[in-house]
Parts: sequence; C-alpha cells; structure tokens
Amino acid sequence: MSRETWQEQLRRGALDLAILLTVSPGPRYGLSIIQHLEAFTDLVITEGTIYPILARLTREGLLEANWVDGEAPHARKYYRLTRSGQKRLHEMKDEWTLFVDKIARLMRAAETSTT
Amino acid sequence: MNLSSTGDSRVNGYLFVLERSLKSFLPGELVRDAVREIESHVRERVAAHDGAPNEREALEKILKELGPPLRVAQAYSAERIIDEAVATGRVVAMVRALWHLAVTTIGGFLVGLALLTGYFVGLGFLMVAAIKPLFPQNAGIITKNGWPVGFGAQFPAPAEPVAGGYWIIPISLILGFAALVLTHRAARAFLSRRQEKPDLPALR
Repeated sequence: MSRETWQEQLRRGALDLAILLTVSPGPRYGLSIIQHLEAFTDLVITEGTIYPILARLTREGLLEANWVDGEAPHARKYYRLTRSGQKRLHEMKDEWTLFVDKIARLMRAAETSTT
Repeated sequence: MNLSSTGDSRVNGYLFVLERSLKSFLPGELVRDAVREIESHVRERVAAHDGAPNEREALEKILKELGPPLRVAQAYSAERIIDEAVATGRVVAMVRALWHLAVTTIGGFLVGLALLTGYFVGLGFLMVAAIKPLFPQNAGIITKNGWPVGFGAQFPAPAEPVAGGYWIIPISLILGFAALVLTHRAARAFLSRRQEKPDLPALR
C-alpha cells in the first residue's frame, strides 16, 4: 500500500468522527462545519466532498438536517446530531481513544526494544 | 462582494454541470437539495470576500477550494452507490455501482466490461445447462470439421451434430455458478477498493 493510500484511508476513517464531533456541541451549517474542521485539522482537502459525507451521515440517521431562511442572504442547511448519532459518537470516541492508546503502546514497545 | 453578471454566470455554469452530473444517479429531490446547498456555500464564501480586488480571481479560488463539479458529483456517487453495494452485496446494487463507475471513469469502464463478461459467461453456462435437456441437438460443444469451435446453444441446430452428451449439464452448472460467484466476489473486491480509495486527493 502506498503512503498516499494509507493516509487517505486514515483521513476517511477519521472524517466521520471529526464531523460528528464538530456538530456535537450544537447545530452547524455546511460551511461552518468545514471552517471548523479546517481550523483544527488537515482533513478537508476538497470542500465540496464534505457535503456528500454529510448527506450520507444524514441518510444513516446519525445527523438530521433542516434549512433555515432569513439569518443570511442565502438559506443555510443546518445539521444536528440525532440520538442515534450521539450514541454512535460516544462509541466512536471510545474506540478511537483505545485505538490510539494501543498504537502508542506498540510504538513505545518498538522503541524500547530497539534501544 | 457582490457578483457581477459575469461572476453570476460562472457560478450558474458550475451549478449547472454539478446538477447534470448528479441527475445521472440521484433522485430529482436530492439533486435540488444538493445543488441548493452547494450554491449556499458558494454565495456565502463570495459574501465573505468583501474587498477582494479582483472578482474573477476570488471566485476562481472559491470554486477551486470547493473542487470541480465532476469531483463533487463523484464524491456523492461514491458515498451513496458504492457504500450501498459493498454493504449489502446485493446484485442490483452492485450492478448499479459498477454501471456508474463504468460511465464515469476509464478504469471503471474497463473493469466493468471485464466483470460484465464474467457475469455473461456464468449465465451462458447456466443457460446451456437449462437448454440441453429440451434441445439436446442444439446445445453442447459446437464442432466444425470434427474440431470443437465453441460451446453453447445454436438455433437452428448446426449442420454438424454437437458433441457432448447430457454430462455437459452438471459441468455447465458447476462452471456457471463458479463464474458467477468468482465474478461477484471480484466485483465486490473492486468496489471495496474504490470505496477505500475514491477520487479524492491524498492527505496533505
């Protein structure tokens, strides 16, 4: 597997979690989610490809979306976590923490055995 | 920044291409919703570009960051069609995903063609097995001057009698099912690979 493929898989694996985390404190519209992700991560490469992920997460019932008129010159589509989304986010956070912890332990073990 | 009529035309052109691309695989209502959301994104970005010295440059930068309309449409298709096919493994979903890749990418076309051939070969063997008991003179190993030149069924019956007795039925069934199963597995593996590595650029 090339480095690019591996990085792309990591990015894709992390993106769902990052999006759910971004909307967990409260509803956000698409551009606001992208700006938040760009402020904290390098996960957004092409802004337009975030919208299909939001559509999928909505289709899977993890997010719900509704259009809001009047607060900007153009209507904004807001996303919020559903109950099912909150549950999934909780599980994903736990799994992510465990995963990172195990890899970190593995890396420390490798470093120890080489020294 | 307020767009001039030229800038508006550029945005509308982008949205037109996106809409046309999305229409090939998404229901109309979802297409309208997706285009509306992308338009909202562009208008919002444009509005935030107050004081930009050059409208054309600012707009091109916004559209570049958004990504070409075909890539955005491909990302929608990748999220929707391929996910469904890989998750369910259903034949209809797989065929739809393969068809979409075949008509949107060159690699997808070549792989789709190979997989389609595999499915047809499998179905062909099964059809020979089904036809043989009904038309024993028409189905089997087709020969010419005593040499086998093909395998299948021919209507009307070939001038030279077909070779192969009823034993070709179990052989055809085995080969047919084997071809279908192997092709289906290959199709699913291909779609999984596409799902893992869609048309998105690599991490910076």
